[in-house]
Amino acid sequence: MDTFSFLIDGFALAIQPANLIYAAIGVLIGTAVGVLPGIGPALTVALLLPVTFKLDPGGSIIMFAGIYYGGMYGGSTTAILLNAPGESASVVTALEGNKMARAGRGGPALATAAIGSFVAALVATAGLAVLAPYLVKIAVKFGPWDYFGLMLIAFVTVSATFGSSPLRGLTSLAFGLWLGLMGIDQLTGQARLTFGVPGLLDGVEVTTLAVGLFAIGEAFFVASRHLYKPEKPIPVKGSIWMTREDWKRSWKPWLRGTVIGFPIGALPAGGAEIPTFLSYTIERKLSSKPEEFGRGAIEGVAGPEAANNASAAGTLVPLLTLGLPTSATAAVMLAGFQQYNIQPGPLLFTQHADLVWGLVASLFIANVMLLVLNLPLVGIWVKLLKIPLPWLYAGILVFASMGTLAANPSVTELLLLTGFGVVGFVMRRYDYPIAPAVVGLILGPLADSALRRSLQMSLGDPMILVQHPSSAIMIGIAVVALVAPFVFRGLAKFRQDED
Amino acid sequence: MTQKTLRIPNRPTAMIAVVLFAIAFITYWDASHMKVRATYGMSASAASYFVAILFVVLAIGHLISAFKPSDIEVESADWMAVGWIGFALAGLIGSIWLGGGFIPGSTLLFALTARAFGRKALLVDLCLGAVIGVFVFLLFNKLLTLALPQGPLERLF
Amino acid sequence: MRNYFKLGILAAVVGGTLGLGTLQASSQDLELTIMAPAGAGGGWDSASRSMQEAMMASGNAKSVQVINVPGAGGTVGLAQFIGSAKGSSNQLFVAGITLVGASISNQSPVDLTEVTPIARLTGDPLVIVVPKDSPIKSMDDLLATIKKDVATTIWVGGSAGGADHILAALVTKAAGADPSKINYVAYSGGGESLAAMLGGQATAGVSGYGEWEGQIKSGDLRALAISYPEPIEGIEAKPLKAQGLDIELVNWRGVFAGPGVEGADLDALKSAVEKTVKSAEWQAILKARGWTDYYAPSDEFKAFIGSETERVKTILTSIGLAN
Repeated sequence: MDTFSFLIDGFALAIQPANLIYAAIGVLIGTAVGVLPGIGPALTVALLLPVTFKLDPGGSIIMFAGIYYGGMYGGSTTAILLNAPGESASVVTALEGNKMARAGRGGPALATAAIGSFVAALVATAGLAVLAPYLVKIAVKFGPWDYFGLMLIAFVTVSATFGSSPLRGLTSLAFGLWLGLMGIDQLTGQARLTFGVPGLLDGVEVTTLAVGLFAIGEAFFVASRHLYKPEKPIPVKGSIWMTREDWKRSWKPWLRGTVIGFPIGALPAGGAEIPTFLSYTIERKLSSKPEEFGRGAIEGVAGPEAANNASAAGTLVPLLTLGLPTSATAAVMLAGFQQYNIQPGPLLFTQHADLVWGLVASLFIANVMLLVLNLPLVGIWVKLLKIPLPWLYAGILVFASMGTLAANPSVTELLLLTGFGVVGFVMRRYDYPIAPAVVGLILGPLADSALRRSLQMSLGDPMILVQHPSSAIMIGIAVVALVAPFVFRGLAKFRQDED
Repeated sequence: MTQKTLRIPNRPTAMIAVVLFAIAFITYWDASHMKVRATYGMSASAASYFVAILFVVLAIGHLISAFKPSDIEVESADWMAVGWIGFALAGLIGSIWLGGGFIPGSTLLFALTARAFGRKALLVDLCLGAVIGVFVFLLFNKLLTLALPQGPLERLF
Repeated sequence: MRNYFKLGILAAVVGGTLGLGTLQASSQDLELTIMAPAGAGGGWDSASRSMQEAMMASGNAKSVQVINVPGAGGTVGLAQFIGSAKGSSNQLFVAGITLVGASISNQSPVDLTEVTPIARLTGDPLVIVVPKDSPIKSMDDLLATIKKDVATTIWVGGSAGGADHILAALVTKAAGADPSKINYVAYSGGGESLAAMLGGQATAGVSGYGEWEGQIKSGDLRALAISYPEPIEGIEAKPLKAQGLDIELVNWRGVFAGPGVEGADLDALKSAVEKTVKSAEWQAILKARGWTDYYAPSDEFKAFIGSETERVKTILTSIGLAN
């Protein structure tokens, strides 16, 4: 039972004044870089990692933890304020968050994101400390068939974002699936829908699609109607802090998001996107004001943001216990750990317990620091929306294209971004929901390869999907979730007819 | 093929149906030309065929709803403004394609987008755009060591 | 308003300068650009950035900038490099065996024989493993299992056509089975395939040794062989060559200059890289990263690229990924 004494040692190190300053610097520069559209936490950490090398190991781990949390939070800030998610996991945050920001509720949206992230990271980091060795044993048992079941559940939940028309929602989803086909197939090396363009061989980047559809599509749309329906975002309406009601509506989504995000994040191929979709769907179902969804419901920010951060802590489970990076951010973190001579893997917890708990303590401290520094900044961030409309959109376009160029400096990528902007405009104009397209692009390739891996391992026998109880249960849940609404509607109609 | 006597009440939806058919066809064509086959289980083409079928179904759905009155109200659009933004993005792409670099491109992008939203002070916006462009370029190339596209202007730094 | 926004960025600028400013080290006046044909964080990127660090710290270059051009297994970056670095005295390119395979399987119009090899840098061994409770105890057992039923022998490893896949195909062929019948389940990297190994969903797995080292040492995976030609200190598993199989495959990385770089320009680049590789700084990086030194000077590396390209092509053709 050395865990806690190690943790206490870790804290003793982390709260030295110099280290607190490193944590603060890390959080600030992490936020400042992460806030640039198109630059997600992975890139932020990769870019700023060299900065930390100059410090002593203790200070550098702490600064690193600060950069990581700052980058995560910076990503959701752009999603909420500018509708330009920097990473796929903040796409859901943009859905409700940006609506809130436009209605003058950017303050509460940013605050619930920050506090939700804090709560989730706190609970999940504690979960990491206690559960990691057990969780990982379950996680590696997850076969391709189980992932396929999980994807099916995720697909069914997407319908929550369909809006008024299932036909248009499905079309948007299909567009995403179609884009997901593009590029080299991971399993066989076959190129799909690349038309001989080398720039397409790697497929479509989720952030390019999201920034194109959300930010650029919106610039087109707002410009097209500003003569007829001048639309000016309201920077601040009411308090910039969360009201009592906001708190009441936020705390349960925070906890539910955490519970969903952490275990899925701990799966070797779970990722951060699926928990955010699941959380959004659940909050929408459970909300006392479901009519606000799509117009700026605070639950729709609180839950997914908590899920995102909890899953980020979840990815540390396979990373620390197996040395297995399961996300881009985790891969960069692995490089960071190696720099500090922490070699994640099965022996880490026994051989270098002090380092692990030092890291965990740093994560706690950085997390607190993030809250302390960023809550006061909320008031400043929301004032971004006071910039005159022409400059605001001009700036969004410059920063959005810059983020895309920084990640991949190619004309093909810019053409794709612009193309998606035009598609986003058409979709908005004719009332097609945008989120399903992004979801399709994320889930499509995952579901495709999970199914095909399953069938490859069974030599083509589809029964493998139901022979394993876990996957059979998940596929069952997906089918029930898909069919139940129709059945209930039918039953209700039947009763009405009887009366 | 377009029958003049037949009135389609919802033209945009009919157009989209045509686009969806086209996508379905392209996807099917692409899948049928794939050479690499999986030795066991399904090949990469299976998902393509699935998506192609999905698009056909959706296209038929659109076609049916094109003959019903539209359930959404499409507002009139300021096509000039849309054109300006298209022009702005083309400016950026052109500048990078032709080796003009990031700063002139983002200057054009900024000024022309501002124009789309009705600003007439083009010169001021060009200056502002250039300042932002230089600032972003220096931030990225010098501090973050991320290489943004360089033209003659950027090489001076 | 705006100013506040700038203030935030300014904080980043100041913070960044603090850290990065100290990276500068002055000495020789080479001002280099290294292109990594992959995104930030991957293997080629870290090799490029390590080279950057070592060249500047050892004083063999005045400044080094790394640019990332990701795409299509490196072929996008290679095409761009061939266009932009023709005859250039200050541009380098870092790549490895995966790019050889990608040029072939993507039917790319360019390949590594078109650029000027400067030096081979590192070469990491691949490892063949089975789950700890597998009845397969040795390479011979594995070969017998493959021979008995090649279809139910499920391999896991990195992406299709990569070094892992090639090694699995070579072993299958050596067992006397048809390599085109291999049941190789590709994952996006050593991480995901590791989970499949630990979960017991596969018969055997291939990965870079370093990626699975922890599980091998802890006994969660049983290493049967490494693909390096000689035994490596600290690695218990024996080379395939020592176990009677004439197979060697090394995940090498090297550095190249543009096409048509000759004379004094080429010599300057060669000597800068050579001095860097022999420096204490580079050796320290190899150690910290767990990379195996596989240095070869320009001429030897050039011949190596030629033979490697031929070999990879033959194997990829036999598994149906090239024609």
